[in-house]
Amino acid sequence: MEETVISIRNLHKSFGNNVVLKGFNLDLKRGENLAVLGKSGSGKSVLIKCIIGLLAPDGGTINVLGQSIPDLSQDELDRTRVRIGFLFQSNALYDSMTVKENLEFPMRRHWLSADEKKAEEKIAEALENVGLLHTLNMMPVELSGGMRKRIALARTLILKPDIILYDEPTTGLDPITAREISTLMNNIQKKYNTSSIIISHDMNCIKITADRIIILMNGRAYAEGTYDELVASADPEVKQFFD
Amino acid sequence: MQLPQHTRNFILEAGELSRFTGRFFRESVKPRYEVNEFINQCFIVGYKSLPLVGLTGFIMGLVLTMQLRPSLIDYGVESELPAMVGISIVREIGPVITALIFAGKIGSSIGAELGSMKVTEQIDAMEVSGTNPFKYLVVTRVMATTLMLPILVLLGDAISLYGAYLGVNIKATTSFHLYYTQVFDNLSFGDVIPAFVKSFFFGFAIGVVGCFKGYNSSKGTEGVGRSANSAVVVASLMVFILDLIAVQVTDLFGLN
Ligand SMILES: Nc1ncnc2c1ncn2[C@@H]1O[C@H](COP(=O)(O)OP(=O)(O)OP(=O)(O)O)[C@@H](O)[C@H]1O
Ligand SMILES: [Mg+2]
Repeated sequence: MEETVISIRNLHKSFGNNVVLKGFNLDLKRGENLAVLGKSGSGKSVLIKCIIGLLAPDGGTINVLGQSIPDLSQDELDRTRVRIGFLFQSNALYDSMTVKENLEFPMRRHWLSADEKKAEEKIAEALENVGLLHTLNMMPVELSGGMRKRIALARTLILKPDIILYDEPTTGLDPITAREISTLMNNIQKKYNTSSIIISHDMNCIKITADRIIILMNGRAYAEGTYDELVASADPEVKQFFD
Repeated sequence: MQLPQHTRNFILEAGELSRFTGRFFRESVKPRYEVNEFINQCFIVGYKSLPLVGLTGFIMGLVLTMQLRPSLIDYGVESELPAMVGISIVREIGPVITALIFAGKIGSSIGAELGSMKVTEQIDAMEVSGTNPFKYLVVTRVMATTLMLPILVLLGDAISLYGAYLGVNIKATTSFHLYYTQVFDNLSFGDVIPAFVKSFFFGFAIGVVGCFKGYNSSKGTEGVGRSANSAVVVASLMVFILDLIAVQVTDLFGLN
């Protein structure tokens, strides 16, 4: 039987009068790459911030790896977060730290780097995966946009998460770099057998990476299917994404 | 009754700031103490402002002496110059000028730093990396400013008094020893302690305001700039308000 790693039911979230999510459902199977497609401001970032517990939902259930995220204590939440990687839309590299320190941070903070030598090996492996071993001692400001994205990706990989949440991994990158990042995401998924949710409105990225697509519209899962199914859809609301 | 918009905003903001301060006290006593980051921040905060504090202190001491001399000569009490300068520097000018420089230098840099961390999601990233960003960023910085400002004030006072010594020496020659004896003979604990104590409050206010503005920065680079700017304005204003309160309190204790 296929195992479900993330299950969301009837998710609601508003900010004041701004209702962002109203009854959103989603299931993510182990090993699957699921893309969530939606217009800017439709609440995609809000959705994955709810999944990782950065935002508290107003209603509904969020189950990740068998844990109900909104009900966890801080300690339990931290333990679950070790198994979830999050690639931020704006990379969120720590400006005041070198690349190495950036990668060390999650390990150190989750009390996982008891052995200095092992930690260095892990950092080297993560950087190797994104092809940027030589940037080890550079500062984030010295890196290009594409490099920063890769470093951010390396930082999410360092704890070998079961699940990776990508928030617009290719937005703001040129088409060639975007394709490289998409391919990299696929390689990572194969190598570590991660499951991922990919938030995007970049059709090329989605085409390369996604096994299945959910369209988020008006706070709900409006349509769902594989890339080929949705491309063939006659619904004008769905069609507009594929033009 | 409807209050004007800016009055309402002011009251709302004051409420938010008090909540933020309350949260500081709650979070600062809960464990996982970020000792390394605290020491790191002390170093950054102290080191960054030291040259500026030294320079302004020196100039203030020198200028103050030169400005005071003519009036004292008029009253025939030129010999009281070191005593007067000493008291003004230690009681008021040292703490306030140092705090204002500190607010400009450190308040704004904390506001800008936390503001940009906020808008580029670095604060969220810390949170998902098993770190309480409030403790890691805010508690450490506020404690660092609270602790470092009084030390900077002491250093600033010393440099300022040296500047004043040079000022005294421009028109007359006094030995260094005589000058310092005159200064310290006229200083009592009642002068030094309240000034020292109020610098802790200044440091605390500057740290809290800088962090508050940065932590609540709005989206975009414009938001970051605004945070840095209003951190300096509000923190400087707080320094004067606290100074006003401090003088009332010392008066109450009969230390004036
Ligand atoms: N912390 C917050 N406080 C208040 N409103 C918020 C907050 N975060 C998001 N919103 C609002 O929620 C809505 C959805 O925002 P979200 O960032 O999820 O959009 P998005 O789908 O990720 O868009 P984009 O493609 O531009 O990143 C927006 O209207 C936004 O203003
Ligand atoms: Mg977004």
